[in-house]
Amino acid sequence: MHKENTVNHKACALLLTALALFPATLLAAPTGQALAFTCAGCHGTDGSSVGPSSPSIAGMDPDVFIDVMKGYQQDKRNSTIMNRIAKAYSDEQLKGMAWFFAKQELRLKPQEHDPQLAERGKKLHNQYCEKCHENGGVHGDSGTLAGQWKPYLEYSMIDYIGGLRPYPRKMKRKVDAVIEAEGKDAVQALIHYYSSQHEAMRDNNDE
Amino acid sequence: MQHVATRSLIGVFVFLSALCLLAPVQGAEGEQLTILGETPPPGFDPISGKRIIPNERCLKCHGDAHEKTDTRDDGSVIDIYADPEKIKESVHGERSCTECHATIERVPHREAPDVVVGCIQCHRETWDQHRNDPEGKYERLGVVMETIESYYDSVHARPNEQDQSETNATCYDCHDAHDIGTLGSHQRTEHRLKNPEVCGDCHRQEFNVYRDSLHGKAVLEKGNADSAVCSDCHTTHQIDDPDSDKAKLAITKNCGDCHKEAQRTYFDSYHGQVHRLGYTNTAKCHDCHGSHDIKGEDDPTSEIHANNRLENCRVCHEDANENFLTFWPHGDADDREKYPGLWFFKIFMQTLIFSVMGFFWIHVFMWLYREVMDRIQGKGFIEDLDHPDVVYFRRFPAVWRWIHGLFAISTMTLILTGTTLLFAHTGWAKAVVLFLGGTEMEGIIHRTAAVIWLGIFVTHLAIAISNIWTKRKTFKWFGSTSMLPNWKDWDDLKGMFRWFVGRGPRPEFNHWTYWQKFDYWAPFWGAAIIGSSGIMLFAPETTAIILPGWMFNIATLVHAEEALLAAIFLNSVHFFNVHFRPERFPMSVTIFTGTIPIEEFKHDHRLEYERLVESGELDKHLVKRPSRRADLAASFITTVLIMSGLALLTLVMIGLVTSPN
Repeated sequence: MHKENTVNHKACALLLTALALFPATLLAAPTGQALAFTCAGCHGTDGSSVGPSSPSIAGMDPDVFIDVMKGYQQDKRNSTIMNRIAKAYSDEQLKGMAWFFAKQELRLKPQEHDPQLAERGKKLHNQYCEKCHENGGVHGDSGTLAGQWKPYLEYSMIDYIGGLRPYPRKMKRKVDAVIEAEGKDAVQALIHYYSSQHEAMRDNNDE
Repeated sequence: MQHVATRSLIGVFVFLSALCLLAPVQGAEGEQLTILGETPPPGFDPISGKRIIPNERCLKCHGDAHEKTDTRDDGSVIDIYADPEKIKESVHGERSCTECHATIERVPHREAPDVVVGCIQCHRETWDQHRNDPEGKYERLGVVMETIESYYDSVHARPNEQDQSETNATCYDCHDAHDIGTLGSHQRTEHRLKNPEVCGDCHRQEFNVYRDSLHGKAVLEKGNADSAVCSDCHTTHQIDDPDSDKAKLAITKNCGDCHKEAQRTYFDSYHGQVHRLGYTNTAKCHDCHGSHDIKGEDDPTSEIHANNRLENCRVCHEDANENFLTFWPHGDADDREKYPGLWFFKIFMQTLIFSVMGFFWIHVFMWLYREVMDRIQGKGFIEDLDHPDVVYFRRFPAVWRWIHGLFAISTMTLILTGTTLLFAHTGWAKAVVLFLGGTEMEGIIHRTAAVIWLGIFVTHLAIAISNIWTKRKTFKWFGSTSMLPNWKDWDDLKGMFRWFVGRGPRPEFNHWTYWQKFDYWAPFWGAAIIGSSGIMLFAPETTAIILPGWMFNIATLVHAEEALLAAIFLNSVHFFNVHFRPERFPMSVTIFTGTIPIEEFKHDHRLEYERLVESGELDKHLVKRPSRRADLAASFITTVLIMSGLALLTLVMIGLVTSPN
């Protein structure tokens, strides 16, 4: 009898331990939000970046987020560490994170920019870029341009023009056209325009 | 106690584990979708998680009037423009773009998209959902459902021969879904005017020919929406291979939607009658007028220009000569000014029909009245059942009985096959022709019966002449046994009418009564008229060697009208005179047994009887009563012929009553 009781005690202890540990560790997958927290170091809390070389991903279109992550997973997009990070996530995890970030408000800070250049950039944007990056490049299915950090925009364009990052469909045609028509500083004008757009982005968030 | 605690713990563990395993990572159907605790963000459908693309997003590019085309990666230029104003005004104005363009999930498109639109599925689903709508708001969708079925049967819905993965054409190849209007809308008028160009996108060669035609110039140059566009002739959705019978029939019918008079007169012609029966082996509108290149008859390039017409005739009538040119393909017997000859013959024939039928039907009804009244009063010829006839009078030798039998059968065959053309508009005519194996087989049967019929007529004539020649020394042309009418017949006719009204006794007759003579001479006249016109139509190329083309019009009219008279007269008046009058009802089999009971002979031909008794010749004509078997056989064949005749009369009357003219 005594021996049986001892066995039962041990079984109870084991079951209690299992009950305490299993749901948290083995059975419950991390939520999209939990996964998204791991990005905060570079992309800021909830995706509003404070480091000028990391893009803000708060409010980012979820399909674009997945495209970008897939691009890193498949080494199609030039990166420093993102290709290593991206490869760890499953499709489901990417979607959960994408939906989380898409719902976050992008909090931007004003950046230094040349107003004249930004004004020229605005015109060029309306002529060459607006159809895809609509409403001045706010969140949309073509990514977020308005209010992005200028350094990020600069190295992104260097990657595109240098062939390190594949152009989305039609973009090369448009970039080539704007450079041919307006010269190489057209790209700078556009970058200054987008980096001047923190207020437009704030208005967009308010809507 | 501890044992119970352990069991409880195990139970809780199993329950929680199951909860963890079963707890959906993604939401169930109909509920908000959840992935790793996240629900779809704004701009995405909360149930399906699919992106909601507003129309404005699509129209950013597709609605830009300054940039209506796009260049694909392969360098090809495509039209991407959809007029936002037109979309708003169209029946689909309230729909979102992606309802139809359901495969579009990303804007801007990551890859050049194919146009994949399921018009049919959406319309069917909408119809199923709203078919019982009490306001009838979706009534028009019922028509769309019918057109969908027609489309599926059409050549456009069949796989393309060069690429079986695609149909020959689909809804949006012809319909601009962004610009579809309701009935009577300006969109529909515009769509109609654009129809030749829309069809011409694929059918370029036909379009180029059409462009120079009367129809094409009216539509494309003058913007006349009343002139014919492709779909007026080829139909909108039942389009078939133009070489198919179905298409030929549809096209010819459709010409008549505008050219009503031309179609009416065409249907009166032999060409049109055959066509109306559902066969295409005779000339149709486009065989003479051309199809896409229709032009006026004054245009030297027109197919119906005097210089080009004979060539058309020769497609079917290989040996057609110049006389064919005087044929009136649309001859109208009701148009006195344009076709006085044809009009005259129609008036003549109709006067003949109405007067003959009018007179004899009055004769029939008065006779019926008198005999019924007499029988009520116990008068007239009544069979003596206590002393049945054993002695018969031989009235017809075997040759006349055979001649009458064959003549009756061939006449009925001719009526059946001929009236199918005359009454081609009826369902029975189409069924009969189908049963016979088509109009060509029907023509063979009609012509074979005609040859037999005329052969019998000629044989009878030869026998009659031979008989008269043999008895030439004693034959009295107007004697009691002669078929020629005489004054006694006139007196008998007057006497019969007096008897009909109860003002005199029933006349006494010679060997042939006046109605028997009429029954003989009417087909005699008919045989001459129907036979001669029939021969003309039998071999048109040969006829045209000596006769002008308009004789075909006259011959067709006279042939039909005279045949109609014969068909009605024989199957009504002749049947009454011989079979249906109360003294004879239900039938007389004399024409098949060749004999008549002596008492009946006495009653109907008393003068002849008395003459024969007086001259002592009666015994030569007396025979025994026909055997029971001979009587049954004669009854059988008489019954069959009478029933066939009545059936034909019924069909003819149906044809006349339902005749569109």
